[in-house]
Amino acid sequence: MLNGERHRSRLLAALACAAVLLLTACGGSGGGDGGDGGPVELRYSWWGNADRAALMQQAIAIFEADHPDIKITPNFSDFAEYWQKLNTESAGGGTPDVLQMDFSYLREYGDRGLLLDLDKSENPVPVNDLLPGLQQAGVVDGQRFAVALSGNTWGLIYDPAAFQTAGVSVPERWTWEEYGAAITKVAQTSGMAGAWDYTSIMGVFEIWLRQQGKALFTEDGRIEATPADLERFWQQGVDLRAAGAFPPQDKVAQALPVTVMGADLAASTVNLDSMVTRYAGESDREFALGALPSSNPADLGIRLRPGILLSAFSGTDHPRQAAQLIDFMVNDPRVGEIFGGNRGLPASNAQRAAATPKLSATDAAVAEYEKTIAQQLTVPSALPPAGVGTADSAFLRINEEMAYGRISVQDAAAQWFSETEAALR
Amino acid sequence: MTTRVRSVVWHVAALAILVVLLYPVAWTIGASFTPSRDIVGNLELFPATPTGANYARAAEGIAGVSIWSFFRNSVVLAVLSVIGTVASSAMAGYAFARLRFRGRGLMFTMMIGTLLLPFHVMIIPQYIIFQRAGLIDTFVPLLIGKFLATEAFFVFLIVQFMRTLPRELDEAATIDGCGHLRLFWNIILPLSRPALITVSIFTFIWTWNDFLGPLLYLNSPENYPLPIALQAFIDQTTTSDYGAMIAMSLLALIPVLLFFLAFQRYLVEGVATSGMKG
Amino acid sequence: MTAGTSAGPALSRGLRPSAGPQQAGPGGRTRKSLRTDGPAGYFFLSPWILGMLLLTLGPMLASLYLSFTDYNLFTAPEWVGLQNYVDMFADQRWRQSVLVTLTYVVISAPLKLAVALAVAMLLARPRRSQGFYRSAFYAPSLIGASVSIAITWRALFSDDAAVDRVLTALGFPSGGWVGDPSRALMILVLLAVWQFGAPMVIFLAGLKQIPRELYEAAECDGAGPWRKFWSITLPTLSPVIFFNVLMETIGAFQAFTSAFVVSSGNGLGGPAGSTLFYTLYLYERGFQDFRMGYASAMAWMLLLAVGLVTAVLFRTSRSWVFYNDGSS
Repeated sequence: MLNGERHRSRLLAALACAAVLLLTACGGSGGGDGGDGGPVELRYSWWGNADRAALMQQAIAIFEADHPDIKITPNFSDFAEYWQKLNTESAGGGTPDVLQMDFSYLREYGDRGLLLDLDKSENPVPVNDLLPGLQQAGVVDGQRFAVALSGNTWGLIYDPAAFQTAGVSVPERWTWEEYGAAITKVAQTSGMAGAWDYTSIMGVFEIWLRQQGKALFTEDGRIEATPADLERFWQQGVDLRAAGAFPPQDKVAQALPVTVMGADLAASTVNLDSMVTRYAGESDREFALGALPSSNPADLGIRLRPGILLSAFSGTDHPRQAAQLIDFMVNDPRVGEIFGGNRGLPASNAQRAAATPKLSATDAAVAEYEKTIAQQLTVPSALPPAGVGTADSAFLRINEEMAYGRISVQDAAAQWFSETEAALR
Repeated sequence: MTTRVRSVVWHVAALAILVVLLYPVAWTIGASFTPSRDIVGNLELFPATPTGANYARAAEGIAGVSIWSFFRNSVVLAVLSVIGTVASSAMAGYAFARLRFRGRGLMFTMMIGTLLLPFHVMIIPQYIIFQRAGLIDTFVPLLIGKFLATEAFFVFLIVQFMRTLPRELDEAATIDGCGHLRLFWNIILPLSRPALITVSIFTFIWTWNDFLGPLLYLNSPENYPLPIALQAFIDQTTTSDYGAMIAMSLLALIPVLLFFLAFQRYLVEGVATSGMKG
Repeated sequence: MTAGTSAGPALSRGLRPSAGPQQAGPGGRTRKSLRTDGPAGYFFLSPWILGMLLLTLGPMLASLYLSFTDYNLFTAPEWVGLQNYVDMFADQRWRQSVLVTLTYVVISAPLKLAVALAVAMLLARPRRSQGFYRSAFYAPSLIGASVSIAITWRALFSDDAAVDRVLTALGFPSGGWVGDPSRALMILVLLAVWQFGAPMVIFLAGLKQIPRELYEAAECDGAGPWRKFWSITLPTLSPVIFFNVLMETIGAFQAFTSAFVVSSGNGLGGPAGSTLFYTLYLYERGFQDFRMGYASAMAWMLLLAVGLVTAVLFRTSRSWVFYNDGSS
């Protein structure tokens, strides 16, 4: 893979250089520093807002004090811009030394030789203190391309007041049918829609399948579900929409960039539990977390999922120092204390303990929720195939077409399958 | 109609258009004084509970980098871009508009051709060039193109303006024994002032607002210009501070507005007034 | 390149218009006159030539090559011949993006130009308060298409917001436009029209370039304002009009940022793909789906289409654009 990467680089570079004969630097290599005895410079990139950047600055200061021989050049942007920049840099051979990684893109980057096998580096990053469900999260075909620094899982996020007003009590666990009836009743009695259209999220479809003993993707990265499965799933959504359980799609689109929950358009949603932080930031309502509906009471079909992962660039000049930084960011309790719940709930026990006193009420509720379903979270998440990001956004987009009544359930399912098959290749 | 009545009608018409035109600007100003969480979804022009907190947070800077640093970077980039673009585009424009030489038609076609390709497919090859040259995290990738007239828009604009200047000027100057450099400097450039001012204004504003270039080529927060800093208030995976972002984006408008105010009056003095003094 | 290196001697020797009266006139565009300004031409063009060779030509050729490959950004491109170009026509979303873009070009470009010219005419006459008006009319264009403007624009066109209220008061209850796939594109059209400042300033600069004497002469002949507009303003302004028409058309074909920040939510170009500009889809394929080969093919397809439009505009311009330098 590395060979291919270099080959590609050379081809493009040759094309560019053909016109750049005057630029003498063109022949030179990207060359590293460190030879001159000064501190080694590591580029570290992450996504996140200004708050995270401020906390990161504190953490970096501690790291640099511990390692006077390393200097960190930070770089941060919003999630979407982060990937645009990282994709460009990686195509051009300028991937940062240490970078934040998302579960959906891990294969995209790992399979193509861009990431360092952290087990094989001079000082492997220890993962023995991580929650059991997260220890293997960054491993791709036996190579540790990333280490999880936080985790989350799926849940039901709801507004207890809205359910109470509607006279609907929230049990410990619902079946999908019961949940559908409950949100319809909420919509009819309270005037607020009962739920955000959970059939628009591919992750929920995957869980719904798993609760029935099926899977969305095969282990070798093909689609295992059938169009009939998807039609059944989406039909649920169409029926609930017709019953008024979901907010009208034009209102949902209008509320953006605020979420449906944040804009107070619905009383509940099935989503990643960490999303409650965002909802709480957008809305004045109080939210609670509960187990998501399941047709199988014994199995919610959920896994502990890595929230944020850290990777190092395979071409870094300083693999040892890169691994040190990752170790520090993942395992050092001081980092956990600085961030609290800002990066999600920490993956390592040491950081989780250090972060606990600093958690906001919302983050503490998430931690509490994960504790109550801990026995469900022992199976590690399967690594999603390359192209899953495309499949995910196609799912949301095609569902939206359906919500506007522009496409039938059958056509929608067929379209998603054809787009996803092409994306997974 | 007397001139006076006509003048009143003119002002009323212009003001009426302006009210419609500036309503969104007024709304944005209102939003900057609205509590951050209430901004999206708010429909009213005036905030119910005005607050200055957004500006206070914007003024704090980001991750230890002060807001002045972002302003300074933006000013440096914009000013150098204006200098580079005006100089290089005026030269290229003069060559295309007034001179005859082999290959002119082909090169002009190539220049127009560069306007037609969506820039997104150029991003990666261009990044590779600057990456190999070791120029990442410097201002060079953002500026060198401006000094090399790569923005065909501006070259073409100047060409179109220079072509409206009477040919007789060149002839008269030639008879006076004027060389191309003097003809360019003493006659063509002064007469093209409206075009050059236009190019300056656009370059300044577009550089000021450019987001993608700085995003790709700059890494260190100390090098960020304003548009990158603005984006730092937003993150879709956690929370977004729209209030601080809007407040800072309005503060960021002040220098551009001043630049426009300072330069727009030179637009008035075209050939018609500053005349054929040559 | 030789022009750049030989600039020294060129300065002393060649940088003098050797064009005598016999070549400078209207008939000057003959073969043999083409050589006359050679050294000077290359000297003045040297920055541009350098920029073309260093920064533009290579990337353009690279993208042309990539358009014939399967390229995922990270591993070597694989040659697939014309496959990407063929695939496009079977791609439903591509067809949708073509339709959206054509609609946008046809509506937004003429509308924006008309408004820009009208306001420029309004502001052309010297008046005391003119600086104020010019700046105020230009103000929207200072802002660009940022996230701030996206929030503002969405708020204006929501249910029961400013636009809805005014229309309802006028007897046209419209509801929100933002979440309505049949109207969302109009929001972007209006955003483009609202930011008419660039063509307006160019028109203004062009109007200022028209010698006063022409109008004075026409007034002596008893011409009214309408005649003056048709027989003096329009012809003299025609190079600038041509520039604006061409640039706004090309710009509309390549529109990206407004849809990227204003209307993208559940996927790019929402709601329901109603604002999926061509370049937006290109971006999605290239940078989100890791199909840069396909994206490059899309780019070159657009280049061909817009190139055709441009060529037609240039061809027709011969009959309606008048240059002072004797050529047309």
